Amino acid sequence: MKRKSLGFYFRIYRKILAQDLKSKMSYRADFIISTIGMIFTNVAGFISFWILFQNFPSINGWGYYEMLFLYGFSLIALTPVQCFFDNNWNLRMRVYSGDFIKYCFRPINLFFYFQSEVFDIKGIGQFLFGLGTLIYSWNMLGLGFSALMLLKMIVFLISASLVMIALQNAAASACFWMQNSFFVLDFINKMKDYAKYPVTIFSSIFRFIFTFVIPIAFIAYYPSLVILRPDEVPLLSWLSPIVALVFFFLSYKLWMFGAMKYNGTGA
Amino acid sequence: MSNIIEIKNITKEFKVLNRREGLKGSLKDLFSRDYKIVRAVDNISMNITQGEIVGYLGPNGAGKSTTIKMMTGILEPTSGEILVDGCIPYKNRTRNAQNIGVVFGQRTQLWWALPLVESFKILKDIYGVTDKDYKDMLELYQSLVDIEPLLHKPVRQMSLGQRTLSDILAAFLHNPKIVFLDEPTIGLDVSMKAKIRTLIHALNKEKNTTVILTTHDMGDVDALCRRIVIIDKGKMLYDNDIEHLKGFFGYYRTLKIRVSGSLSETAEKIAAEFPEFSVSANDEWISVLVDEAKSTVMDVLSQLQKTYKIRDMQLEEISTEEVIKKIYEEGVK
Repeated sequence: MKRKSLGFYFRIYRKILAQDLKSKMSYRADFIISTIGMIFTNVAGFISFWILFQNFPSINGWGYYEMLFLYGFSLIALTPVQCFFDNNWNLRMRVYSGDFIKYCFRPINLFFYFQSEVFDIKGIGQFLFGLGTLIYSWNMLGLGFSALMLLKMIVFLISASLVMIALQNAAASACFWMQNSFFVLDFINKMKDYAKYPVTIFSSIFRFIFTFVIPIAFIAYYPSLVILRPDEVPLLSWLSPIVALVFFFLSYKLWMFGAMKYNGTGA
Repeated sequence: MSNIIEIKNITKEFKVLNRREGLKGSLKDLFSRDYKIVRAVDNISMNITQGEIVGYLGPNGAGKSTTIKMMTGILEPTSGEILVDGCIPYKNRTRNAQNIGVVFGQRTQLWWALPLVESFKILKDIYGVTDKDYKDMLELYQSLVDIEPLLHKPVRQMSLGQRTLSDILAAFLHNPKIVFLDEPTIGLDVSMKAKIRTLIHALNKEKNTTVILTTHDMGDVDALCRRIVIIDKGKMLYDNDIEHLKGFFGYYRTLKIRVSGSLSETAEKIAAEFPEFSVSANDEWISVLVDEAKSTVMDVLSQLQKTYKIRDMQLEEISTEEVIKKIYEEGVK
């Protein structure tokens, strides 16, 4: 049988998404409350950020608007993982209860099939908030605007997203080997909070860890340097799209390897 | 007729860690290389032809699921060969998935939040069903069960019976060559069970779909299967027609009588009188399982009548359930 094309997967995803949104909208209260919840989460996150900067005018040579830029950048970069890969949080339970086996019987990509099941609409609020923050700080920093900058922005946002997705995939796939793997995913999720700070503020050990071990520095810091500090872009920034692709591919392989090894509980 | 499934001497072994007791034991287990090999499926062979309904039976832990997982390509056999529609399932998982449908009694494979018809449309795309085949299939479904009220209901709001029905319809939607049904009637009420059995039977007739049915409900087996395969502890115990099965242990009938006086005392006395038959007592009835090769039911009855005052009597043919129970408990001699 021939391999299914990318277009095929887009079509299927669109259909599932459209239906899923329709059914979510039908639960109006739930929809409204979760939207409000998302707004509050973002506002609270912003307030703590703002309070910090009321007390320190700059952190390690990073001014308020630059930090805000990083903050907005990381919010946008974290949106795809929230919207499209949220089912990773359920993976552990599915695997543990044996329900995961149902995903193994379809003639389509297992990873796709599993992730397509959940679309988390809350991510959209986060995206809009991040976009607002980014545009505002962009303006205040007087970075100027050109088509090339926009292109760079898009490429580096995508690679930043891929890094986070890869981190989450790798963390989620721990459940294929471990009984109680929640803490792995939870740990990675907590680590992403550090992504919105310039990696230079950490000690050299953590700088190394955040770059090469748990590469959260690729979620906001390295890619945004391309826009923020165009005169002193380190090599790692330019490498971030490649790092992202390689890392995503490896995490996907790891996830699939675990899934293929999986053989369920007794029925 | 061609074989849709060919299984030749398959064996599946699992490596299981020998676990020790207590906290200290589990700490030791962390570093232990002390594995034992468990043989879940032991040298099983069978051929299944297109269009058959095969009851695949065995007590819990017999190795049924493991065999099914090998047929669906989820597990690779340790040794032996499986061919499903001419290809090796675990090497061609995607291609095999296109050929099969799978239903688990208590785990729906439909999209939880979506109305059934939307799940159908997505499945139609996934399996590449043509518009015409899809329409024909829905018409067939409509003629077999009243699906109209189900189609627009989200799966989440369905009763277990409706959900199982929907899952079965979804499994047949792409007209697969084989459908695996794993306890499709578990937890359902009597009328729903009957409905589902009728549906499976009709779909098998109409589409000539091979059905592999695992169940613990002998009602399913009686209603659907001509052939049954029984395994236990990974070994094949029986593979033949269901009619054949009933004569398997000789010809048995159960004589049930109701007597005046103490039930258990009388039962004990009868048991002593007929040591060759098994005697049990419950619900005011005393049952004597008579092996007609040894003596006839009428002989037993007339002998009992001499000693006891029989107020009422019933005669039961042995059910598939009882035969299977005997096989599970005693094995095959």
